[in-house]
Amino acid sequence: MSDPQKPWLHGRKPGDRRVRVERPHSAFFRYTGPGTLVARESASAPHTTSGRLVERIRHVLFGRRLSIHEEANERLSKKKALAIFSSDPISSSAYATEEILRVLVLAGAAVLLVSLPIAIAVAVLLAVVSLSYRQIVRAYPSGGGDYAVARRNLPRMASLVVAAALLLDYVMTVAVSTASASEQVISAVPGLADFQVAIAVVAIVLITLGNMRGLSESGNIFAIPTYLFVGSALLMIAVGVFRIVVNGESAPPPSPLPGAPALPEMLGVLLLIRAFASGSVALTGIEAVANGVPAFKPPEPKNAAATLAAVAVILAVLFVGITFVAYSFGVVPIDDPIRKTVISQVAAVIYGDGSVGFYLFQTFTALILFLAANTSYNAFPRLAAILARDGYMPRQFSFRGDRLAFSSGIVVLSIVALILLIAFGGDTHALIPLYSVGVFVAFTIGQSGMIFHWLREKPDGWRRGLAINLLGCSMTGIVAVVVLIAKAPTSLLVAIVIPILVVVMLFIHRQYKASAEHLAVRPDAVFAAPRRDERVIVPIPGINRAVIQAVNVGRSIAPDVRAVLISDEPEEAAEIRERWERQLPDVPLVLVESPYRALVGPMLAYLHVLDETWPHDKEYPVTFVVIPEYVARNWWERILYNQSANRLRRALIGRPHTVVVGVPYRRDEDPDAERVPEARHKPPAS
Amino acid sequence: MSDQKQRVPFRKAVLGLNGGPTDELVIHLGCQLAKVGNAELVAIHVIEVDWRHELSEELTTANDTASALLDMAEIIAESYKVRLTGDLLQAREVAAAIVDEAIEVGADAIIIGLPYRQRFGGDFAIGDSIPYIFQNAPCEVIVVREAVASSADRQTGSGQLVASGGGTR
Repeated sequence: MSDPQKPWLHGRKPGDRRVRVERPHSAFFRYTGPGTLVARESASAPHTTSGRLVERIRHVLFGRRLSIHEEANERLSKKKALAIFSSDPISSSAYATEEILRVLVLAGAAVLLVSLPIAIAVAVLLAVVSLSYRQIVRAYPSGGGDYAVARRNLPRMASLVVAAALLLDYVMTVAVSTASASEQVISAVPGLADFQVAIAVVAIVLITLGNMRGLSESGNIFAIPTYLFVGSALLMIAVGVFRIVVNGESAPPPSPLPGAPALPEMLGVLLLIRAFASGSVALTGIEAVANGVPAFKPPEPKNAAATLAAVAVILAVLFVGITFVAYSFGVVPIDDPIRKTVISQVAAVIYGDGSVGFYLFQTFTALILFLAANTSYNAFPRLAAILARDGYMPRQFSFRGDRLAFSSGIVVLSIVALILLIAFGGDTHALIPLYSVGVFVAFTIGQSGMIFHWLREKPDGWRRGLAINLLGCSMTGIVAVVVLIAKAPTSLLVAIVIPILVVVMLFIHRQYKASAEHLAVRPDAVFAAPRRDERVIVPIPGINRAVIQAVNVGRSIAPDVRAVLISDEPEEAAEIRERWERQLPDVPLVLVESPYRALVGPMLAYLHVLDETWPHDKEYPVTFVVIPEYVARNWWERILYNQSANRLRRALIGRPHTVVVGVPYRRDEDPDAERVPEARHKPPAS
Repeated sequence: MSDQKQRVPFRKAVLGLNGGPTDELVIHLGCQLAKVGNAELVAIHVIEVDWRHELSEELTTANDTASALLDMAEIIAESYKVRLTGDLLQAREVAAAIVDEAIEVGADAIIIGLPYRQRFGGDFAIGDSIPYIFQNAPCEVIVVREAVASSADRQTGSGQLVASGGGTR
């Protein structure tokens, strides 16, 4: 077929003619081959003024839409990975010492000495857990951490418990880290004490916005605060140790001891266990490296294992060092009149209270804690997406937003963390019992998965790996129980939340499985065109252009078309019938009087009656309910029109063998339509 | 000397794409040269319409393939951050259409590809289009010949020919 629209372009020589071929798709799509199109950003652009306004706001808040081809696949060097993965575990050194001291002050100043052996015991536990995670890193280089190990090696229930524990862990990381960061800010600037929760809330909101924009963890910007904190903390410890060991400086704890009861508890085993359980929060986040092995440069497992070892060593040095300096200078947590964290007091002793060094250190501490919160924004949505793909969480968790971020996971993480933060008044100490239990449950199940891995695979050196994971599993299992008991009753909340999460995940999985089985088609089946009767019902409010258009659409679907008028005004209905039979003689009109003024009920009842009168030996026909709709041009017009149509559509959703067809009538498409004055105006389809 | 240093290869160039194995070479070279002088590129693909059809007849299958080719050129140009517009033409003579279009858009260079192929294993075949463009284009003409190794690879099956028609018949 020649196209007369295409003008010929003449060349320099006679007969050299050419025709320019329009490519209307090019504004919205790109061809990647015959019959295959890829949508461009402009294809998703809104067409309405309000839509463009919303898009503009989204653009300002979250940035421009990113294509999946723009996803950064940067591999991390050990140096960079150390900074990125260590922010979560290393930041816990900012509050772990304080958690030990908060328990020990209950027994009086004399027992504060025990803080050091407890810190060392926690460091030993850290060494064992790190060694165990090195096994996971080597055995599962594709990443995924404890959930991947449990899913591969343990029954489904165990992997779901790990998933629930990890999800809880990530939420708690956000809540605890921002709460602690806020406390560091207050310790440095006591005037902001009234805004402690507000600071944490604002931080979470900002981190959420940043992540919705697709904030990448791989940027150098994340490495800087980590190294600044580690450097300044190591310097602080070194100066502190020098002053204690060489200069012989030390100070007794304040008297009376802040936070100590009038009658100090006896230093019993229970108190020691509680102090150890509190200090074990230092281990939180150590699993981050095992989750992100694929992000390392090759050889991934080797580099990840080396990074994990470095993180563990730095964390142990910082934790034990801060505890030692704090004890030596008699530092204990102060809550009254203004909260002062242990690490801020240590910094005040070493760098000088109110000095530039002190403020810088507090800034670095707050920054690394905010950064630790940010790591969960990477981990939680990814785990939620994996669970969604496995069918254990709603599918929307696996969809990525305009900026390639798993938006649903980010929003849920923020909301839950904010609720916890506000409910606990931004108090780190109150939040921590919830934190540790989930982490140690995940550690334990992950290690037990590794035990089964070694016993099943039996690769070279499996006995050594088995021994390490057995030790790790036993120790973390014991700590999980200890933390659960020692931190009761708050910690018992976790024992309730994790099973609830597991039950919800199982319920979701059962629903998806059932629907998938229901929807599945046999791969070898060939589907011929159906031979089923069809009929069309057009509910009408009267006679107007929208109704005529809907009737015409109905005529194109099937020959059996009938209009149904449900009316509570018999006189008006009779007038409409008279007009209908005159103007649309080939389409029967069924008039249903509705003395009770209902619309939807009589319509559904009429459809039911139609079905009942259908011959029982024949398959029910497909009933197309063609609803005329008047397209609103403005947002306020939407309130005026189509309310009945919307109610009817909602009522028909899910009705067996019924298809609802909306036929929009656009005023703009028919600008030359003759205006017919009517004595009694009835809205088009209100 | 300084004039030579500052001289940009062209301000606007036409890339003649034929759906053959040299197209990517042509686009990449065009983009690299355009980047130097912040120049503009016009990628042209000409669907050759034989005398059995009207010149303005819609050739859907050929259009899809050609569109994919021009879209590929746009994607590559975007990666170089170079301005490129795609132009799809139908003509009886591919080479004449390229020259005429280059004149119309005011191009000061035409870049075309030349796959290395031998006729029946004998003489090297240059086709009809390149000599025509050489003789008739008022601007500079840059011909990119693919490496012999690429040609050999293609003949052993690793390459892929996309469509017919174009500058190097």
